[in-house]
Amino acid sequence: MDHQPFEDWLLNAEALDSRQREALNAHLQGCRACSALSAVDHALQTARQVEPRHGFVNRFQHRLAGNKQGVRRRNALGFALLTLSVSGLLTAAALPLLRSVVQSPVDLAASWLSGLAGLWASIQALFHAGTVLVRVAPGFVPVYIWAILLFGLTGWSVAWVYSLMRYTRIVQGA
Amino acid sequence: MTEESVWIVQAQQGDDDAFTFLVEAYQKPVYNLCYRMLGEPEAAEDAAQDTFLKAYQNLNRYDRDRSFATWLLSIAAHHCIDKLRRKRFSTFSIDEDEEGQIDLPDRSAPDPENEMAKKQEREALQGLLQALEPLDRAAIILRYWNDASEIEIAHALKLTVPAVKSRLHRARRALAALWENETPRMRAERKPYGSPAF
Repeated sequence: MDHQPFEDWLLNAEALDSRQREALNAHLQGCRACSALSAVDHALQTARQVEPRHGFVNRFQHRLAGNKQGVRRRNALGFALLTLSVSGLLTAAALPLLRSVVQSPVDLAASWLSGLAGLWASIQALFHAGTVLVRVAPGFVPVYIWAILLFGLTGWSVAWVYSLMRYTRIVQGA
Repeated sequence: MTEESVWIVQAQQGDDDAFTFLVEAYQKPVYNLCYRMLGEPEAAEDAAQDTFLKAYQNLNRYDRDRSFATWLLSIAAHHCIDKLRRKRFSTFSIDEDEEGQIDLPDRSAPDPENEMAKKQEREALQGLLQALEPLDRAAIILRYWNDASEIEIAHALKLTVPAVKSRLHRARRALAALWENETPRMRAERKPYGSPAF
């Protein structure tokens, strides 16, 4: 059976004039498929809305509160786990040191003291070397080199101060 | 600014009472959509509650230029589609009433037999809906129970408008075919061309 244009009319819910309506009625009498389509459309349009059980909003509020509590608990657990992990890592890193402290505290103190003494001796040696260099260097370097160095240093200082002033003006919006 | 817009703004600023007003206003359409999608009152309750929870958690993502109802129903539809994909409902008992209670025909009604027939029709319809593909079912529910336009359905289900139109047509043809096979008695009693659409 040819369902057109009746099927399109039904599917698109087109507005029909009286002649078309009569033609559709006649078609529906004999066409099971289009009749079913019309019946389904009618059933869908008249189907009622199902409502939730009484107290839906209260149950939601409880659920929301439970969810928030769960989130707080998860955050607290996460923080505790992080703290424990960091503490564990630090302990693992410090374990050799702690072991040596426990096993031979005198040896550890002696090695620390010798390390500090070595550092102090290095600083002193560097200071002496610098003093000697300052004392001896002027004899080796010609005067004109000193003049060039002084001139360069002055120029560099002036440029630095100028750029600083200019930058400050820009920042202040001058 | 409408009352609903005020609630939305307040809820977005962290006011739980304002969100409660929104839950109160939309509990019926959201629950109905979940029920029609899942076919079981307990599953529908759970899905509707989850929908509002998701909406609460993602409220800052809601674009105020669009319809709140469409946004909310979109969350509900996608939630139900995901649930159905995870667990297909193999059977649907039409003996169970829509709200888990026995719905006796109204004896005070002028025609109790007709009332019973209508009830059976409703149950049959719910049974038929379960046979549709989840996305087609969602489109049908949004169209018929929520009066959503094809554009709104397209937004809600992340489809194009022609795809929505085609899905609606296909779903209605499928429902009609099932209706024809499963309700011969009702069809025999039905007065021809009773659709209120015309």
